[in-house]
Amino acid sequence: MSLPQFNLLRPRILEDALSLLAKHAGESPASTRVVAGGTDLIPSMRQKLFEPEYVVDVHHLAGLKEIRQTARGVEIGALASLTAIEQSALLRRRYPVLSEAAATVASPLLRNMGTIGGNICLDTRCLWYNQSPTWRKGCGFCIKKDGDLCHVAPGGTTCWAAFSGDTPPALLCLEAEVEIASASGTRRIPLSELYTGDGVAYRKLRPDELLTRVFLPESSADYRGVYRKLRVRGSIDYPLAGVAVVMKGSDGHIADARLAITAVNPAPLLVKGVSELLTGKAMDESLAAAAGDLAAKIARPLTTSALTPEYRREMIRVFAKRAVLAAAEN
Amino acid sequence: MTDFSVIGKPIAMIDAAGKTTGAGKYTDDLSVPGMLVGRILHSPYPHARIKRIDTSRAEKLEGVVAVAIGKDAPNTYGILPVGHDEHALALDKVRYVGDNVACVAAVDEATADRALELIDVEYEVLPAYFDPEESMKAETDLIHDNKPHNLEKDYHHVFGDPDKGFAEADCVAEARFVAGEVTHAAMEPHSTLASFEIDSQTGKPGRLIVWSSTQVPYYLQHKLSLVLDVPMAQIRVIKPLVGGGFGGKSEVIPLEIIAAIAARKARAPVKITYTREEVFWAHRGRPRTLIDLKTGVKRDGSITAVKARVMQDGGAYCSYGVVTILYSGALLGALYDIPNIQYDGYRVLTNKPACGAMRGHGTVNVRFAFESQLDELAARINLDPAEIRRRNLLKAPCVTVNGLRVQSYGLPECIEKTIERSGWRDRKGKLGKGRGLGIACSHYVSGAANSIIRSDMPHSTVNIKIDRDGGVVVYTGASEIGQGSDTMTAQIAAETLGCSLGRIRIVAADTDLTPIDIGSYSSRVTFMAGNATLRAAVEVKKQIASAAARKMGCTADDLVFRDDLVVRKKLAGESHAATLVSAAVPSEASVSERVEGQILRGSLQQKRKDEGPKDSMSFEEAVVAAIDFHGTLTGTGSYAPPAEARGGKHKGGGVGPSPAYSYSAQVAEVSVDEGTGEVTVHKVWAAHDCGRALNPVSVEGQIIGSVWMGMGQALTEEMVWKDGMLMNPGLLEYRSPSSVESPEVEPIIVESIDPEGPFGAKECSEGSLAATIPAIANAIFDAVGVRMHESPFTPERVLAALRAKKNAKPINLTDGVDPTNPARFREHGGSLWFKGKGPERHALDPSRLAAPLEAGGDD
Ligand SMILES: Cc1cc2nc3c(=O)[nH]c(=O)nc-3n(C[C@H](O)[C@H](O)[C@H](O)COP(=O)(O)OP(=O)(O)OC[C@H]3O[C@@H](n4cnc5c(N)ncnc54)[C@H](O)[C@@H]3O)c2cc1C
Ligand code: SF4
Repeated sequence: MSLPQFNLLRPRILEDALSLLAKHAGESPASTRVVAGGTDLIPSMRQKLFEPEYVVDVHHLAGLKEIRQTARGVEIGALASLTAIEQSALLRRRYPVLSEAAATVASPLLRNMGTIGGNICLDTRCLWYNQSPTWRKGCGFCIKKDGDLCHVAPGGTTCWAAFSGDTPPALLCLEAEVEIASASGTRRIPLSELYTGDGVAYRKLRPDELLTRVFLPESSADYRGVYRKLRVRGSIDYPLAGVAVVMKGSDGHIADARLAITAVNPAPLLVKGVSELLTGKAMDESLAAAAGDLAAKIARPLTTSALTPEYRREMIRVFAKRAVLAAAEN
Repeated sequence: MTDFSVIGKPIAMIDAAGKTTGAGKYTDDLSVPGMLVGRILHSPYPHARIKRIDTSRAEKLEGVVAVAIGKDAPNTYGILPVGHDEHALALDKVRYVGDNVACVAAVDEATADRALELIDVEYEVLPAYFDPEESMKAETDLIHDNKPHNLEKDYHHVFGDPDKGFAEADCVAEARFVAGEVTHAAMEPHSTLASFEIDSQTGKPGRLIVWSSTQVPYYLQHKLSLVLDVPMAQIRVIKPLVGGGFGGKSEVIPLEIIAAIAARKARAPVKITYTREEVFWAHRGRPRTLIDLKTGVKRDGSITAVKARVMQDGGAYCSYGVVTILYSGALLGALYDIPNIQYDGYRVLTNKPACGAMRGHGTVNVRFAFESQLDELAARINLDPAEIRRRNLLKAPCVTVNGLRVQSYGLPECIEKTIERSGWRDRKGKLGKGRGLGIACSHYVSGAANSIIRSDMPHSTVNIKIDRDGGVVVYTGASEIGQGSDTMTAQIAAETLGCSLGRIRIVAADTDLTPIDIGSYSSRVTFMAGNATLRAAVEVKKQIASAAARKMGCTADDLVFRDDLVVRKKLAGESHAATLVSAAVPSEASVSERVEGQILRGSLQQKRKDEGPKDSMSFEEAVVAAIDFHGTLTGTGSYAPPAEARGGKHKGGGVGPSPAYSYSAQVAEVSVDEGTGEVTVHKVWAAHDCGRALNPVSVEGQIIGSVWMGMGQALTEEMVWKDGMLMNPGLLEYRSPSSVESPEVEPIIVESIDPEGPFGAKECSEGSLAATIPAIANAIFDAVGVRMHESPFTPERVLAALRAKKNAKPINLTDGVDPTNPARFREHGGSLWFKGKGPERHALDPSRLAAPLEAGGDD
């Protein structure tokens, strides 16, 4: 499958990138696309899911690859590769859940190319969408691209494509914030506010904006962390369900805990009530099971992905329970 | 005699370096001057009449040279003489999503892609059939007008007296098994380059030259001739390196003919390489199969009768289907001693890509059912699963009740070795919670005794030429597809001629240069092309021997050919003198040594004349002596299976018979996570009787590959459909195992030395696959006590089975179908529980008719 034709723009510094984006994104929202590692965008462009006129390659922008300790926590450049995240001694020591989640993405080759920024901005996925044009035409174009029906939630007017990134649930547990830059300035928002919960407009990011940095607050450091991922194969596969847990203990009791899920909704979600449920208690099977139930309650898997929705939802329950137990044992 | 110098030794494939360095050329690596790129327009509908095709807009696009459609080559073809039901490009009807409608030849891929969008096709959508049981009820809108009830073919065989057999049984098991649909997933996508030569005399377009990723150049040449109305002699098919076939390239695939049609129309060479999605549409893989199986055993474990009703969801065209459904029945025999067999096989047409031949063709799914049921019976009569298999061994040599001749039979040793190496006796049932062992056996043909084209021609012919340079050129039609065909040929030639492997050059699979061979499938190459090579080598060796004998003053029978020397037997026997060998000829003849040899030869001969008759000669000297007498040495050998091996006379009796069968026994060790249903295969012990291992590393590679491929079908691989749409047409969603979940495989070679195989060899590339699936199923049972009757054993199916067993809170994990007792067929397997309304299509389309409309996953 050939790539559609486009103009490739390769700025070297951030300012140039932002002004190019400002210039071309103004023409029409679909006219530009940012590419970082390209591991998500390029396959999608081959499938003609995106046919931008301009592709702004940000992979070589200076200064956006570092992972460094600051007074307020750790700052990660959006272009840091997943391999770098996986292998960073700093992150492994202080924010282990993130390294663990990064290590489960795709395969070693893809992790070398793929960036954390790309993983956060990852397009939502659906078996009825991530297909060739011929396939989609045969099936009937859907809401997410070129059409007005949904094969997954019939009669619905919204898209339920699943957000299938592995690091965002870990980042949500760590209460990460992201920096978003455009020619008109920068803003900083909690990661949880980046996602909309809609399968089409899944992120609040204007076409002229770039995600530049990720911040992990000092207050989230040194939590024990566990990431559990449901997949059919031990490599390559996107998550079919994913659970991240961070936990802090003191004298056999849980001092604080957070839990987030991915790949079962159009956005990664922090599960509310987990902290309240677990804090101050000693971990046991039934407590862990209760946390699993909380997670399963907000999971809304649909037939966007392989394996049955019922199974994937059940696995959110099982994996959440196991992850909580494992985090308590660590 | 087991004292060989070339065979039996582990050697690297003779084309290994080219492949590992990237220097080797596959079809898509080739280009010729003026070459265009071809892209194919595929049908978006599963079943529709083409009312009109307008290509004019596409033709006008800058860079487009030609647009070919069905009318450009309207002849039908098909791999089987009884199944000529395909058009390279659809004429009036499309029969599956992905069927071929038109082809654009353009200056580059992007232009061709754009042109596809400019082709206007008006369809009349017809009701489509996706479920074989439903499809067989069809009265109207048939997929092919000449196939009532969409039934491609059915066979009903009775051997012995099954009713009596069941009456004699002490224990009878009966159940339905469902095996999901799988495909080859070869690394190399299909690719074809077609070019018409300019006739050097007339300047007009002349012969057609086709480079193609094919397992069978001869069939391709034949079908091209049929469709293009060009004599076979005007077509040359060349097979470059092929990156795996597994059966997916064992018949003519649409692009191979479409490229030629487009090249003819464009008056320029055209290359087409499939995208991965197109590979899935071309398919020809293993059909989803429903198996209703009944087996009876006596208390001592001996099988009294087997009854199988097999239904295959064959897709929209015949392909190899008639052969598949026959193999499924025939190969119930020849593994165990079964006195009474009843078989009812149905090959059904549906509106999906055609299924065809795939590694273990026809036997795999039925073997899964049979070996699972045998395990259940063993449990019921309280017999060890390994023991029940031993109680049913054949007494070879014999002819089975369904007419299969078995001569060499290494199954007993295979079973013995696997249970010994796996520690079966001590470990079975003692591995703790969630972990278990399972055993299963399988077998396969070493080539079909009857070719699909009824004729008296030999199945393989090989020519050998030796000239004064001492190089041995072997011309074979056999297709190297990564399995080691060229290496095997070189080894047999070298062993027979007593020369080093370095002397052998293989010229293979080029219809202008090499004799007809019916191709690389049904594991026939080593047995048949190997025998032909052996015979050709024996013929040239005779010529060399008589000349050498004259020189040495002895008889030809007195000579031994070995290690590039021709030695008198007496001498060779006394001391196969290392001194003499090392002094005379280096073991690998390099180019420079050969050049030196040429120069030295004159003086050597002079010396010899002076010294009178010798006790030994170098291979080269002997060759030169023979050439001085005969001229350039040539020899031809051919192979046709013996009449006794060709099977019974019943209808369909031609499929199943083979000159020899390979045997396999496997033990799998698995663990099952009872909370998630995930199955992990830790280790597989796989014993395989290949007759003789001509190249042991190659045999081990084939065994490991078979186990791995079988494990994919057992656990993760499944083509998932919804209303004729393949939901996973790519290697991301069609999940072949990755290296992470590949278990340790311990290959165990068993050599039964077949009386008719070349040096006793049989086959090693397919027979092992079928045992893996039931070995894993049986191990799952041993681990957690659930019997999976539906493959693949995906985590959701295993979990559903576990929950049902424990009477735990039932959650509807698998669309209401119990994977331990699947009553009905589900179009979309179980991997995807579809609750949506599906493709928006024609009002008549059955997919429009009510589907449950609630979204999943709510509490
Ligand atoms: C076979 C395969 C398997 C995969 N498996 C997994 C998996 O298991 N888990 C997983 O999480 N992912 C998986 N991926 C997806 C992908 O590899 C990763 O998510 C990766 O992190 C994406 O990063 P990238 O830099 O390559 O993104 P790109 O492809 O460059 O970009 C992805 C998207 O984000 C946008 N974008 C990228 N960077 C920025 C930025 N700085 N600012 C604004 N927008 C931006 C792009 O415009 C695009 O829409 C898989 C991909 C493949 C091909
Ligand atoms: S959820 Fe529905 S609308 Fe969204 S991509 Fe899938 S089919 Fe299309």
